[in-house]
Amino acid sequence: MSIELKDIRFSYGRVQALDGVDIKLEQGAVGLLGPNGAGKSTLLRILLGFLKPERGEGRVLGHDIRTEQALIRRRVGYMPENDCFIPGMDAVTFTSYFGELSGMPRQEAMKRAHDVLFYVGLGESRYRPLETYSSGMKQRLKLAQAIVHDPRLLFLDEPTSNLDPQGRKEILELILDISSKKDIQVLLSSHILSDIETICPFVVILNKGRVAAHGELQNLRETSFRLFELKVKGGPGPFLERVRALGCKVEATEDMILKIYMPPGLERAVIFRTAAEEGLQVREFLRSQTSLEDVFAKAVGVD
Amino acid sequence: MAIAERGYTHWDGELQERRRPWWPITRHGIRLAFKRKYFKFSFFISLMPAFGFLVGIYAAEKIQDFKVMIKGSPTLLTVDPGFFRAYFAGEFLLFMMLMIMVLAGAGLIADELRHNALQLYFARPLAKKDYFVGKAAILVFFLSLVTLAPGLLFILFKLIFSGSFRFLGDYPWLPLSVIGFSALVTAFFSLYTLMISSVSKNRRYTAIMLFTIYIFSDVLFGIFYGSFRSPYFALLSLKVNLQQVGAAFFRVKPPFPVPWAYSLAVLLAVCAAAAVVLHKRVKGVEVIK
Repeated sequence: MSIELKDIRFSYGRVQALDGVDIKLEQGAVGLLGPNGAGKSTLLRILLGFLKPERGEGRVLGHDIRTEQALIRRRVGYMPENDCFIPGMDAVTFTSYFGELSGMPRQEAMKRAHDVLFYVGLGESRYRPLETYSSGMKQRLKLAQAIVHDPRLLFLDEPTSNLDPQGRKEILELILDISSKKDIQVLLSSHILSDIETICPFVVILNKGRVAAHGELQNLRETSFRLFELKVKGGPGPFLERVRALGCKVEATEDMILKIYMPPGLERAVIFRTAAEEGLQVREFLRSQTSLEDVFAKAVGVD
Repeated sequence: MAIAERGYTHWDGELQERRRPWWPITRHGIRLAFKRKYFKFSFFISLMPAFGFLVGIYAAEKIQDFKVMIKGSPTLLTVDPGFFRAYFAGEFLLFMMLMIMVLAGAGLIADELRHNALQLYFARPLAKKDYFVGKAAILVFFLSLVTLAPGLLFILFKLIFSGSFRFLGDYPWLPLSVIGFSALVTAFFSLYTLMISSVSKNRRYTAIMLFTIYIFSDVLFGIFYGSFRSPYFALLSLKVNLQQVGAAFFRVKPPFPVPWAYSLAVLLAVCAAAAVVLHKRVKGVEVIK
């Protein structure tokens, strides 16, 4: 078990940031989602050992989050959201420097810095001053410093922000490659849901300091909604109102495809029956897949 | 096959728990300082008084050879505690120490605040204390090279040139004074520099502040002393406070008739304020925005 939290509570003064968070994470990549103020940053701070929870207990890589913060930080890698570098250094010095600070011997850190810089695609520019790096290069550099000491758990905070589509694709490929290793767990916090869908088979959705949804993405999709797409002949107004009254969420696209999100327990035959009662012909009826966006919207209670 | 095509590979080694986790910070900081424009030149210039005083020690022992040059003013070449005070609390050396701080220290924390580097440090097994020690050790290294090292060399060369231990017999406390005053002046300048470096994200502002506060405190003293003639206004000047305490350490008459303990209290107050400001400005918990 790489991360195990039980009933974690934390507040900033009167603001309750985390309220009874229970999480158990095994191997693989996990997406951490939530609207602003949901408690993601507080959770990361607690996992990295910067904050002590007011209540509850937890372990990261087997180390207690209250008493063994230094041991946790030795074995985890952290890639922050903001651009961060030290002016005057080149990428090799920078990466090996943080390897040393993590506890690597000097020579080993230097050797490993070359390796990871080639791995993230900065091999040719590793001796260039960091001030001259583009946003995409800085993003790769942050990933390099996070993996230089070969962590067992990698926290990635918005790893694809400020990247062009090609850069984003390449960073996601790197993260996918890292997370494919059986013994490295990746916790990816992002607002870009498609990134999480690409990388993470598991998600944790936080809302108002609580875990709103947690588990394998495939299962969450199944349990949250069944999505059907249909085309009908005739004016769908009254039909849609009746379907909504049944507890379904309905969206109409520009090309008049109706997307109906059916809650668990409701039979699809009800849709056909209602259409028939309203005198509509159902011309097309397809089972579709709910996206992470749908799961997220349901979990945090927004349309 | 290129490493990027090979996929992610593990590192085949063991992470160690360092006895001095701050040491990489110091080592890289010293290297970066020497890369700075004008730093090498300033540092070289700041060593010039030490060479001058060493020559003075040699000349004092070979006074007969230099009689023609000094024309009846042998007191100029008397190596005694006053000689040491003249070196340590001399205007030029204090000014050059300030220049070293401006060139090597102004950006130590400011640059890292500006470029969000603190979060990378504190996501490692590094305590805030280690971070400060690592940064302060960079300044301690440079300042010790212009205070402690020359001070001890002066004593050593005096003993070598004189060929006896009589000098130490006359002033047995002098090595401790050299160590003590070097430690004080180094601690003061290091903390003062780190404090100023942490209050802004702009290295230029912090450099200007370092310089201005030090010089302005002396100007303020000059204005008040000129107007009211009270020596207690000396307590306003950081430079004069250092000189007052320096005189006390080397047991010579201070430049102003003010108890040296007051000056020491002012310097310690600045150090305490620096510790508080550093504690407030650099927070590990802020690493995740």
